[in-house]
Amino acid sequence: MRHDRPSGSTAAEVLARVQSTDADGTTASACVDALYVHVPFCMHRCHYCDFFTLAGKDDARSAYVDALLAEASATIKAMHFAASPTVFIGGGTPTYLEPADLDRLLGGLAEALPVAPGEWTVEANPETVTAQVAAVLAGHPVSRVSLGMQSAQPHLLKALERQHDPAAVPRAVDHIRSAGIDDVSLDLIFGIPGQQVPDVHADLAAALAMDPVHLSVYGLIYEPGTPLRRRRDRGKVTPVDEDAEVDMFTSVQQLLAGAGFEHYEISNWAKPGHRCRHNEIYWTNGNWWPLGPSAAGHVSGTRWRTIPRLKAWMDQRTDGLPPVVDLESLDADAVMGEVLMLGLRRLGGVPNDTIAAACSTPKRGKHRATAISTHTAAGLLHDVDGHLALTRSGLLLADHVISDLL
Amino acid sequence: MHIRNFSIIAHIDHGKSTLADRLLHATRAVTQREHRDQILDSMDLERERGITIKASAVTVQHEYKGETYQLNFIDTPGHVDFTYEVSRALTACDGAVMVVDSTQGVEAQTLANAYLAIENEVELIPVVNKIDLPAADPDTVAMEIEAILGLPAEDCIYCSAKTGEGIGPLLDTICEQLPAPRQAVIPETRALIFDSHYDEYRGVIVYVRVFDGELKVGDRIRMMGTGTTWTITELGRNTPQPEKVDRIGTAEVGWIVAAIKTLADVRVGDTITHDKHPAAEPLPGYEEPKQMVFCDFYPATADVDSGKRTDFESLREAVEKLQLNDASFTFEVQHSEALGFGFRCGFLGLLHMEIVQERLEREGGVEIVQTAPTVTYKVNTTQNGTMEIHNPMDLPDPSQVQAIREPIVKVEIICPDEMIGDLMSLCDGRRGIFKTQQFVSTGRQMLTYELPLAEIIFDFYDKLKSITRGYGTMDYELVEYRVDRLAKVDILVNGDPVEALSLICHRDNAEVRSRNILKALRKQIDRHQFEIALQAAIGGKIIARESIKAVRKNVTAKCYGGDITRKRKLLEKQKAGKQRMKSIGSVNIPQSAFLAILDQGDG
Ligand SMILES: Nc1nc2c(ncn2[C@@H]2O[C@H](COP(=O)(O)OP(=O)(O)OP(=O)(O)O)[C@@H](O)[C@H]2O)c(=O)[nH]1
Ligand code: SF4
Ligand SMILES: [Mg+2]
Repeated sequence: MRHDRPSGSTAAEVLARVQSTDADGTTASACVDALYVHVPFCMHRCHYCDFFTLAGKDDARSAYVDALLAEASATIKAMHFAASPTVFIGGGTPTYLEPADLDRLLGGLAEALPVAPGEWTVEANPETVTAQVAAVLAGHPVSRVSLGMQSAQPHLLKALERQHDPAAVPRAVDHIRSAGIDDVSLDLIFGIPGQQVPDVHADLAAALAMDPVHLSVYGLIYEPGTPLRRRRDRGKVTPVDEDAEVDMFTSVQQLLAGAGFEHYEISNWAKPGHRCRHNEIYWTNGNWWPLGPSAAGHVSGTRWRTIPRLKAWMDQRTDGLPPVVDLESLDADAVMGEVLMLGLRRLGGVPNDTIAAACSTPKRGKHRATAISTHTAAGLLHDVDGHLALTRSGLLLADHVISDLL
Repeated sequence: MHIRNFSIIAHIDHGKSTLADRLLHATRAVTQREHRDQILDSMDLERERGITIKASAVTVQHEYKGETYQLNFIDTPGHVDFTYEVSRALTACDGAVMVVDSTQGVEAQTLANAYLAIENEVELIPVVNKIDLPAADPDTVAMEIEAILGLPAEDCIYCSAKTGEGIGPLLDTICEQLPAPRQAVIPETRALIFDSHYDEYRGVIVYVRVFDGELKVGDRIRMMGTGTTWTITELGRNTPQPEKVDRIGTAEVGWIVAAIKTLADVRVGDTITHDKHPAAEPLPGYEEPKQMVFCDFYPATADVDSGKRTDFESLREAVEKLQLNDASFTFEVQHSEALGFGFRCGFLGLLHMEIVQERLEREGGVEIVQTAPTVTYKVNTTQNGTMEIHNPMDLPDPSQVQAIREPIVKVEIICPDEMIGDLMSLCDGRRGIFKTQQFVSTGRQMLTYELPLAEIIFDFYDKLKSITRGYGTMDYELVEYRVDRLAKVDILVNGDPVEALSLICHRDNAEVRSRNILKALRKQIDRHQFEIALQAAIGGKIIARESIKAVRKNVTAKCYGGDITRKRKLLEKQKAGKQRMKSIGSVNIPQSAFLAILDQGDG
């Protein structure tokens, strides 16, 4: 018999850990900038996916929303929010909830929030966005929809095991816009087995034709533990070669720049004023609280993850809060490492005074200073308006550079 | 009482150990209840692989024509690597039972072992075995024995070591035809050490054949070669259960325990005499077996830096412990920049190497990375010296080398007629010199070639087996060291020679072999931040090159809230990897690269 009692930590402990003490000695609850809400249901499991998501558990969806709302009310009241926080509902496929459940979830969250959110994103898969679903979204303060387009070509969608037909994407975009939500972001993937540079051009053209204000374009990752990875390791799938991948990335950069998009993070592009604020909170090492199984949270150097098992998350509550795993509080040196790791992903880079602080920490400061000058000399890092940032060629070698700065 | 001392010899798998079982049964030394197959193969590895690795001596009693005969016999291994075990066994015997599988016929090791018996002047009894099998063709096999070895076909005893058929007549022939051992020729005691084993509790167990005089418990003995003295605490013989006795008389075989701590204290082939009344001359001994094949063993720690120490210590313990049981492999500490600390080991042959590796991994609980095997070279230097090297990295600078001599072996191959042509091309392609081609029986021939040993330690045997679809067998023995146009090839990674990858090969093959190695390496080494040049060079002159392009993309596409911790850990690992790389030069060569180039014999 298996006992679902993982590390023994609970979200209540996390709350206690991240409480701040004011100057006058009173204890204040944690202050967060954002809320991440996880909806772990999908119609089908894509073979490259390593998210915590469940296919074939449709019956659990309604009770899930109840449990999520219970968690939200227990959590939110113990917390303090920054002005106009962001909300991000991700998955899984949030729009795979029954419209009535989705409606309940959005309504319940809006009600539980003590302040009006400044940005509210919902992730969606094109085939799930009907006029009815779009109307449900628009009936709440949802301001952005991020659509998993991935590719416009059937053979590449098939290679990814995505189930939608390319025509579903413009249809979904129309529904969303007709319902009154203008900020639409599209996700694309390049480096799909069998893909060539012209395919990437075609995918981008199809995406741009829908006039999105934001695009996330990812190089395909062979995540450990996924069926795709196993197939690659057994030689059943041949990844595109490195040179082609570099060419693909470079053409994405060029095409989107030409189309008036600002490249603001390694894999993200936005029309001016349309960056994803929620994600920028991650990259600036901000504080956010997670809701739902497997969701990760961060407050001032403490990181944790809600237990990644549906049943345990639902049943094992303490004061309404679920168990957590991987709870760790980093020391100042490690926090600086993360600040650099995340901040350098942004093309705007990291402010020079933060860099100076990172280079004077006791353990790794010296080492970082040396690495920064080596990589600057090699043309991988440069100064942009008082910020240290990756150069164009540095972007392609971001892991190489960043790993030296941890 | 009559005594008969003999060995059972044969080609691999022709049924020596099974025949030994039958002899133990027929003489009631082992009851049905105690029986298991190949009872004398007592090592785990012997039982698993179904082969004999160490010879074992047993003593049984047999009644023949109303008189008691003490039969001392030794079951020997059949594989070429362990030929020295056969020759040791034969020096302790006056006769040999030569077993030939009636479904296979005379094979390469049948011949090799028969010649050994003839050299040792022991009487041969040919036995045609496995006559119970439907494919048995005993008459043809008896004719082969006559044609090749000159033993009359009608003298062959047909038997089945499985059913026991023919075992009675065999025992009778042993008593009747094998010579009685010679009488003592001097009054002093002389006993020949023909084997030794290590026992955890009692120390070394020394196997002897007494030629003159006798040995008794309590005797103070002296080993004539090493000059050391010991007191006998136990004497015994295997029946096959160990059975203690008070004395071992002239012509008898048995074992001695004398508080001897390590195998290094005992030289097989040495003569034991009494300390007080020593013999003037020792018995003729024999040469220690020579290691023919060498390679390095390193602990297979994925992480070269961390944990290396302890894994090396485990390997050292395992190596030292195994040496107690098998004095025929040698070792010395070796250090490689890429692989850390390990051992250079010498073996009798490739099977021996494989067995030692397997025993080390199993008994020592360490995983091993092995470098390509090489042979011993004799090098004449310009300073008029000669040196023996068994590691390419020990070869002096080409400017100081006058000549390199390599071991040449005489190879005998027995195979079906129709494959002769392909086998000759194989040998010719390996720098072979054709010697003879001889008829064995209708449809089978024997081919004799002289070949450099270095050429047969690269997958020669596998090629032979595949050409002959398993029907070909081979045996080889060292002929001499011969000069040839040999050169050391250095493998350079970004200009730095990687010693553990260097090799000695014939000048004419150097380009092809180097190219294959570089191609294999290219597949094994990951792209780095810079381009990596792979080169092969002889004395500074580049003879082959490949390159590994620099990494152009090393970036993780996604890093959102849920990815941060995992991503940081991955990057920390990458950082540690880079720091380690620096400490072993600029390029990280995975251990798998060393294994991959083991298969690069031919193009
Ligand atoms: N049918 C049949 N099989 C036999 C007979 N003698 C031996 N075998 C089988 O042949 C195989 C090899 O027998 P072993 O006795 O191990 O041969 P060996 O000569 O000692 O082999 P090595 O020690 O490896 O050289 C085993 O599977 C035996 O069971 C026989 O008379 N008849
Ligand atoms: S739809 Fe998205 S979350 Fe669901 S399985 Fe596919 S990739 Fe994973
Ligand atoms: Mg045997």
